[in-house]
Amino acid sequence: MALSDFLKSKEPDKKTSPFLHTLFDGFFTFLYSPNHTTKGGVHVRDGMDLKRLMIHVVLAMQLCFVFGTYNMGHQHFVSLGVHTGFVEAIHLKLVYGLIQLLPIFIVANLVGLGIEFWYAAKKGHGIEEGFLVSGALIPLISPPDIPLWILALSVAFAVIIGKEAFGGTGMNVLNIALLSRVFIFFAYPTTISGDEAWVAGLARDANDIWVSNYSWIHTGFFNGIFEFFGANDLFDPAAKMVDGYTGATPLSLAAAGGWEAVTNVYTPSQMWWGSIPGSIGETCKPFIIIGALILIATKVASWRIMLSMVVGAAITAMLLNAWDANAFMAVPWYYQFYMGSFFFAMAFMATDPVTAASTNRGKIIYGFLIGMVGMIVRVLNPAYPEGWMLAILFMNVFAPLIDHYVLESNISKRLKRA
Amino acid sequence: MELFNIFIKAAFIENLVLAYFLGMCSYLAVSKTVKTAFGLGLAVIFVLGVTMPVNWVISEKLLSEDGWFGVDLTFLRFILFIAVIASMVQLVEMIVEKISPSLYNSLGIFLPLITVNCAILGGSLFMVAREYNFSESIAFGLGGGFGWFLAIIAIAAIREKIRYSNVPPALRGLGMAFILTGLMGIAFMSLMGIDPTALTAGK
Repeated sequence: MALSDFLKSKEPDKKTSPFLHTLFDGFFTFLYSPNHTTKGGVHVRDGMDLKRLMIHVVLAMQLCFVFGTYNMGHQHFVSLGVHTGFVEAIHLKLVYGLIQLLPIFIVANLVGLGIEFWYAAKKGHGIEEGFLVSGALIPLISPPDIPLWILALSVAFAVIIGKEAFGGTGMNVLNIALLSRVFIFFAYPTTISGDEAWVAGLARDANDIWVSNYSWIHTGFFNGIFEFFGANDLFDPAAKMVDGYTGATPLSLAAAGGWEAVTNVYTPSQMWWGSIPGSIGETCKPFIIIGALILIATKVASWRIMLSMVVGAAITAMLLNAWDANAFMAVPWYYQFYMGSFFFAMAFMATDPVTAASTNRGKIIYGFLIGMVGMIVRVLNPAYPEGWMLAILFMNVFAPLIDHYVLESNISKRLKRA
Repeated sequence: MELFNIFIKAAFIENLVLAYFLGMCSYLAVSKTVKTAFGLGLAVIFVLGVTMPVNWVISEKLLSEDGWFGVDLTFLRFILFIAVIASMVQLVEMIVEKISPSLYNSLGIFLPLITVNCAILGGSLFMVAREYNFSESIAFGLGGGFGWFLAIIAIAAIREKIRYSNVPPALRGLGMAFILTGLMGIAFMSLMGIDPTALTAGK
């Protein structure tokens, strides 16, 4: 108990410096769960408090972080036509990915947590942990080359309008991470669409040729370190994009030319294992499924939503197969799951316990409708390449309504039985 | 199929509330509980579904130059549309009062105010501008009404839920309803851009 005594002695005074006190309190409760008891009313007490619940989600997506970091570097070098094997020049790819990912992660968390801390100090309550998960999700769903000021703006919008206006953690109606992503999508459409957005570190030079976009930290600092340790592979500032490379994601290929166009560029196993361009964390399906299983095993996320979402998407894709009006609809329904961010949305987005329906029957309806709407938006809506983000937001709006009618029907059923 | 497309388009893709922001006043005022919102939503579906074909007949057969009189009377469009809508609303009011006096009381002034609900006049004017035929105007009226109905019961359910939230005092009530409507508009943008006619044409 020595550590807790030491920390307690350092606790700032709540009256004289409220902001420091909230800051201290936020980190203190990371280490020790508070032992105040509630007075009045009935409360469930459990060691699994909000902070520990959230940390489970963050842990479940660690594999996606590792893979996403590496894949970002890998895609960058593939576009330049060097180190195209997946396990070549591991040091370069990891370093490159980290240099891209860390600023995104730091900015997203700094802005989001900063706003949370400020509100907590102003309202005089402890820090609500809601942003832990959002702050980990936002980097994973960002395109690799997102400008940091746009990211900061979108996070600020999502946290202030989407959460603090509703009263803070646990009260929001729309998923915060998705709201920030959708803000970027609609407010700055050019940064998040088009094929170039999904590969990091390319820029047009004066002759309108795509070249690598390295800064001093790549060519000066890290090349120096690699040379010191005798590595042969270095960041090459003169590298150019290979001819014919587009960086198109499987979905944009499928929208243009169906499954055949996709398999001309990517193999199904490549798509399944995730060495394709895309948002940072969405590409590797097996790792996402491992994360989903962790969430189900720890009962943090609802298996009902995940299962019904898979069923809804599969049924819709089969119906679209049967309709078969264009090449995208004809993509075999099981291959629809290989492309895009279905699994990521299923595991980490749709199961958000705050914005999803909260009754058991409601969860099944909610997940099923997300699957349907998402597949419809993906395939039938030419304006958007992928549908899950918008489908989940769409169903977030209707989740309270679903709950309302599930409750009403339960009430009337029980009244009849009585 | 064509009619179904128009219905879907009016209900989801070009939702009168969340894409055009029409009919906001009763949408914001009556969306405090799901029950009253449900009643008002049904009333709007009925009024839109009935006034649209009636207004179609008026504008095509009475007012247009190719109609029965052969005179261009389109300057009378607004006043005649409003008259039709007002009489339909009167009818709904009598029905609701007879069937469910409690709903009638909770809707209060907003039931007669459907007359000046811009979603309904707007629907009729869209119908003229888009040159729908008779059956298309029915589909558009029912679809638009259904979209309005969905939007109002969705926001009512959310507002019932956030009644227990710790909303900043300055935003309670209408402020929150405005923010919610904006956020719902973002969510409904997911379907914007789908073109049902182009899809069926490909078949």
